[in-house]
Amino acid sequence: MGIAIIGGGVAGITAALDLADSGFKVYLIEKNAELGGKMAELAECKTGLSPKIVEIENHPNIELLLSSELESLSGSAGEFKLNVSGNEIEAESVVLAPGYDVFDEIPKSYAIANPDVVTSLEFEGMLRSATASETGELLRPSDGKRVKKIGFIQCIGSRCQENEICSTACCAYTAKEAWEVKERYPDMDVCVFYMDIRVFGKDEELAAELKDKYGVKYIRSRVPEVIPENGALSVKFENLEKGTIDKLDLDMVVLAVGLLPSKTLSRLAEITGVKTDKYGYIETSITNPLETNVEGLFACGTATAPMKVRESVAQASGAALKAALLSERTEMIPGQEERKYVEAGEEPKIGVFICGCEGEVRDCVDIPAVAERVSQLKDGVFVNSETNTMEEAMEAIESGIVDQGLNRIVFAGYTPRKYEDTVRDRCAKAGLNPYLMEMVNLREQCAWVHEPKEATESAAGLIAMAVERARYLEEIPVERYPVIPKALVIGGGVSGMNAALGIADAGYEVYLVEKEPELGGSLREEIGLQSGEKSSDVLTEFVDKVSSNERINVYTNAKVEDVTGRAGSFKAKIAGEGANEDIDFGACIIATGTDESVPEGYYGYGKDKNVVTQPEFGKMLGGTLSANTVVMIQDVGPDGGVNPKYGSIELMNNVLKAKEKNPDLNVFVLYQDIKTYGKWEVLYKEAREKGVIFLRYDKDKPPKYEDGIVSVHDVILNDEIQIKPDLLVLSTPAMPAEENERLSKMFKIPLKNGFFLEAQERPKMKLTPVDTVNEGVFICGSAVYPALIDECIAMSSAAASRACVLLAKDFLETPAVTSVVDELICSGCGVCVDMCPVEAIELTEEPVPVVTFGVATVIGGTKRIAKVNDGCMGCGSCASYCPSGAMSLKHFRDKQVYAQLDYAV
Amino acid sequence: MIKTWELDANFRNEIMNEPGGEHLSACFQCSTCTIGCPIAEIVPSYNPRKIIQMSLLGMREDVLSNPDLWICAICQTCTARCPQDVRISDLLAAIRRIAEKEEEAGKLKVDSVRPLFEKAFLHQLEKYGRLFDMGLAMEYYKGKEGGSFIKGQLAMMKDFKDFGMRMFKKGKMGPKAMFPEKVKKKEEIEKIFEKVGEKEK
Amino acid sequence: MSEKKLAYYPGCPSATTAIEQDMSTKAVFEKLGIELSEMEDWNCCGAAEAEDPILVYALNARNLAIAEKDGLDIVTPCSICYYNLARTDKALREDEGLRAEMKDIDSSLEYKGTIKPKHILDVLVNEIGMDELSGKVEKKVNVKVAPYYGCYIGRPSETAFDDPDDPDLMDRLIELIGGENVQFSSMKTKCCGGPLMMTREDIAFEMARKVLESAKNAGADCIALACPLCGMMLDAKQPDIEKKLDIKVEMPVVYISQLLGLALGIAPGKLGLNKNVVSTKEILGKVI
Ligand SMILES: Cc1cc2nc3c(=O)[nH]c(=O)nc-3n(C[C@H](O)[C@H](O)[C@H](O)COP(=O)(O)OP(=O)(O)OC[C@H]3O[C@@H](n4cnc5c(N)ncnc54)[C@H](O)[C@@H]3O)c2cc1C
Ligand code: SF4
Ligand code: SF4
Ligand code: SF4
Ligand code: SF4
Repeated sequence: MGIAIIGGGVAGITAALDLADSGFKVYLIEKNAELGGKMAELAECKTGLSPKIVEIENHPNIELLLSSELESLSGSAGEFKLNVSGNEIEAESVVLAPGYDVFDEIPKSYAIANPDVVTSLEFEGMLRSATASETGELLRPSDGKRVKKIGFIQCIGSRCQENEICSTACCAYTAKEAWEVKERYPDMDVCVFYMDIRVFGKDEELAAELKDKYGVKYIRSRVPEVIPENGALSVKFENLEKGTIDKLDLDMVVLAVGLLPSKTLSRLAEITGVKTDKYGYIETSITNPLETNVEGLFACGTATAPMKVRESVAQASGAALKAALLSERTEMIPGQEERKYVEAGEEPKIGVFICGCEGEVRDCVDIPAVAERVSQLKDGVFVNSETNTMEEAMEAIESGIVDQGLNRIVFAGYTPRKYEDTVRDRCAKAGLNPYLMEMVNLREQCAWVHEPKEATESAAGLIAMAVERARYLEEIPVERYPVIPKALVIGGGVSGMNAALGIADAGYEVYLVEKEPELGGSLREEIGLQSGEKSSDVLTEFVDKVSSNERINVYTNAKVEDVTGRAGSFKAKIAGEGANEDIDFGACIIATGTDESVPEGYYGYGKDKNVVTQPEFGKMLGGTLSANTVVMIQDVGPDGGVNPKYGSIELMNNVLKAKEKNPDLNVFVLYQDIKTYGKWEVLYKEAREKGVIFLRYDKDKPPKYEDGIVSVHDVILNDEIQIKPDLLVLSTPAMPAEENERLSKMFKIPLKNGFFLEAQERPKMKLTPVDTVNEGVFICGSAVYPALIDECIAMSSAAASRACVLLAKDFLETPAVTSVVDELICSGCGVCVDMCPVEAIELTEEPVPVVTFGVATVIGGTKRIAKVNDGCMGCGSCASYCPSGAMSLKHFRDKQVYAQLDYAV
Repeated sequence: MIKTWELDANFRNEIMNEPGGEHLSACFQCSTCTIGCPIAEIVPSYNPRKIIQMSLLGMREDVLSNPDLWICAICQTCTARCPQDVRISDLLAAIRRIAEKEEEAGKLKVDSVRPLFEKAFLHQLEKYGRLFDMGLAMEYYKGKEGGSFIKGQLAMMKDFKDFGMRMFKKGKMGPKAMFPEKVKKKEEIEKIFEKVGEKEK
Repeated sequence: MSEKKLAYYPGCPSATTAIEQDMSTKAVFEKLGIELSEMEDWNCCGAAEAEDPILVYALNARNLAIAEKDGLDIVTPCSICYYNLARTDKALREDEGLRAEMKDIDSSLEYKGTIKPKHILDVLVNEIGMDELSGKVEKKVNVKVAPYYGCYIGRPSETAFDDPDDPDLMDRLIELIGGENVQFSSMKTKCCGGPLMMTREDIAFEMARKVLESAKNAGADCIALACPLCGMMLDAKQPDIEKKLDIKVEMPVVYISQLLGLALGIAPGKLGLNKNVVSTKEILGKVI
């Protein structure tokens, strides 16, 4: 049988690849004619998504059903029957990922008929075409003039009567769009009209930078109208300092439209019997965020709540694992089959494949002319310039090797950053040693940078160079080593336990290591969860499951030491009370959670017994509450932590409980941004309705607490307000777990603010927030970013899923790659230096030779360029962050010995 | 400087118990109402959003004595756009009614002639069941001039001389305008005023 | 339209300041073959001055009940009357307690919710419909019009029957009769200041000025509207506004029913076109 996935957006794609890569048969059902969903429409994302789409199209385990929709579903978990546009499919489980639609009932007061007023989705398209255009300028749709002043209006179609909840993604994507605008057009005036800036983690830093460094004006007003006047777009807002209405004239306005459940969802729910919540999203619960009410049907991505790509993808991986547990592995894992390579021989037979890349290259480079010139190179080469998609190109290469006996391949077209693995793998499949292949990046190096004539010229030159190199390519022996089908999980909180359970249920042995005497982590604190469940009940359930699972070995009071090895084959020591054991394992998950912060000295905390933290207040709510007036201050406390994603939600939760206990309680909340994202917005509303007063303070003028009086300048009322609380409650940052520093060094995973840094969009990796720069090591839960329990559970399921993809393999190949700088296009910016987790890159002054081949215009001299040294472990972080595309991963001939040695440890 | 312990925390409830004021507490201070308000465009101090926040805080006296309470044109723009369904226009009316009651109880002096006008208007209705323009104008101007009929008439003449002539010429101030049209079943109207009046207390 | 008979609620100004609206409404419906039967003994809706919702409900429940007895939907030419009738209708339909409360005040206020109050503009475009109207158009009214909707037609949403920000029912009628709509969208729904006329003339005049001058700047021959209070403010008060603010507008202001009447071939006198304060002569010259 297999697993059916409904929806081919980024969530569906992720789930499909996770499953197919671990040997499950997958049916991917997409109603549109193309994969990609909304993400394919975003300015920067298409390039990140395309390689995955290519992978899916070429995957032997995935059956792709485009332009197809589910018409009926019968049977039950383990034996579903689906009718998909007439096709009968049998599946053991189904993953629902039908995604979202954007709000489209925009009031006419926003002058939407005016061409210069666009939705954010349209704007993403404009950014994309600006990139591709000759001048790169952002032009006003109405008259083609350069845009000088642009305004973004947030919350369109969110947090309103038509759509009560917050769309979660729009604050962040607006920040991203504003950043892109400022990066490309530094002189442009950019302003953002907002109510609360609901960004988290990395985006929080971005928003701060936008204000401080980029000069983006964030103006607090929910703007209700755009008035076209004298050729400009006039936007009124409230000047809070003066309490008056001000006006700004803009050239362009972008409406940050909200996310709504996909319009297909109600029908899908009807067909499948899946329940939807009152907002129309698939109903899931905070402790089972991926399960629907129907057994065997799982949900992920924006079909469950509005969210960003990061969260969608985590949910998708998690849902994939859940679906896998109900299914049987029936397929081969690609790359695991025995491969025999033909003797390449001394006499090179070179095949050059020039791909049109769906027009991106074909439109800028005269391919026939290039092919003509290449075919005239000395000694003659075989040239194919007929292909236009990755799939066609791969087939051509395969048949070139098999049928024509080519033994050196030059592939010119798509960027090697993203596609090198695919091409190499195809060579190997055809029986050619994968390292007998050279790639030429026509897309970035020619098509994007040169005038057409020049581009053709330089393409021919680059290919000629590559052919020269290809002549001397030698085979690199491909070494395989067995994967140890066991996993190590560090941290016994809810994330760690859930990850361990996921992996164990998939059939692998797990070592679960917790430094405290018992499992549970932060859930040990007695808290009432947002769902009404008690944390202790949830915890007991997890602990029971873990301890009764035969495949999980729990070590408490223990620590992990002396880690060596690499993905698939690690070794370490578990040391601690009563334990001193050497273990080996194929994958590792780090789930160390957070430490509570102690705001010693803030507002007299520690001395004044009436000053408590939010969690302490939560505990007080278990007893009687004698206070009459409570003041809560958000975002205070020691440096060195991060504001948890649940900060405002925890606060609302406590406030509501307190008001329930004592309805006459006066509560004042002093905040900068209320961040009740997504469906949690309703808690904020409920708190207001219960009489809680919200006062907004300025970051530079924090509230004061003296002689029992809190004074705050409310920027919205623009007045100083004094309150006499009998209790002051502080919402403090979450602190990284103490152990992180040590684990970071041991596992070579960089930290940021003490939390583990996820590696997104790396050439060799899937786009998930649980992957790290060190292959085989995954991170999840609050150790990455402190979040609510539903997110921690989804993320830890994702980490388990990613680990299982690895453990499902019988063997891995020794990596024979390292980063290589293309010195011609390296701009010396140094981004890679910061990104490298093992400090393997430095900037050097290098003399630059005059370049022959007419490729670039650089004249001899010196310039700063990046240099990669021996420490490189081939993680690819640098390559993915390099703004000029100068870094890429290359196989290394001179390092074969090192590769073998490395495996030997 | 606002000292919260000197404020009236119950004020919000007082407003929310008044018909039209029910949705006060839903407000999240987004400024939509103020930005689109045609009055705020003309009168810089006018700010419904601020009146709402002051009401929520319990600044009873400041709110009830605020002359801006009386210049809302009840155009409903704010109500139509408020993302939280606060129904600002009805809400301001509810606050105005509280202020009027305060004035009747001698606790406050309302800084506007609007209550006089509205009362005069309703009097016509109560008496005739329909609007009687002349009656309304006479009563309103009398009230405006401190209760003096003569002064009121003079003021009215001054303000409405041109307008009256204009209307007269166009046949819009004919006999029909000089005498009230009356609803036949007057007792039904009287009942309405009597009973609704009682409810208000 | 299937129903050929409607209950007509003229509103208080119908006999005085908005007499031309009353005349033209009656003439237009007569021409369309729809009987307007003036409601027996109707009372004032409370206009903008009755601020207590309960009082508004009571006053309008009585009117609704009168029409309900005859089993007729109500049509009114006044936006405020419409708003008060419609919100009462809605409140009473939704709230049984309120219905009881009304009945408790007086049995004449007993309303079951079996009829609907409607604004004349709504009836013309959405009930009678453009097809039927276009069949009856006899003349081309070749004027440039600033269609002014004011409040209550597009807002608040519970009672609205057109777009809150860019309504177009009148626009469509104007196109139908051969007129041209000038660029006026940002002013279409801005309040004319009417409700403040008696208590804050200064503000009200300023509001009206914006509407009048925008229409003038947009090159309109006249303003069309569908509410007697707007008519009072923009037409009857126009000379006062000009004097007080020292401006010259001289902008004819007509009711949409008057314009439509002209297109239907009704005599100007029957449409009260001699009763508008600012002369409508130039408009009459453009009827062909
Ligand atoms: C303007 C804008 C900018 C954004 N920018 C960012 C950003 O910078 N960073 C970020 O992280 N997030 C961003 N987001 C959010 C991001 O787009 C989403 O988080 C992400 O695309 C969700 O992916 P998904 O797979 O859940 O849904 P989708 O992308 O909507 O995919 C769902 C797919 O399912 C298909 N489908 C639907 N119903 C059916 C059915 N019945 N049968 C078969 N197929 C079906 C659809 O056709 C679609 O292809 C942005 C959103 C917007 C609106
Ligand atoms: S507050 Fe919520 S709905 Fe509004 S822009 Fe931000 S994320 Fe979107
Ligand atoms: S690929 Fe090598 S050089 Fe680049 S970041 Fe990773 S380890 Fe550093
Ligand atoms: S529009 Fe509504 S929510 Fe916004 S400030 Fe005004 S009343 Fe409050
Ligand atoms: S109803 Fe009053 S407060 Fe609201 S927009 Fe109109 S004038 Fe302003």
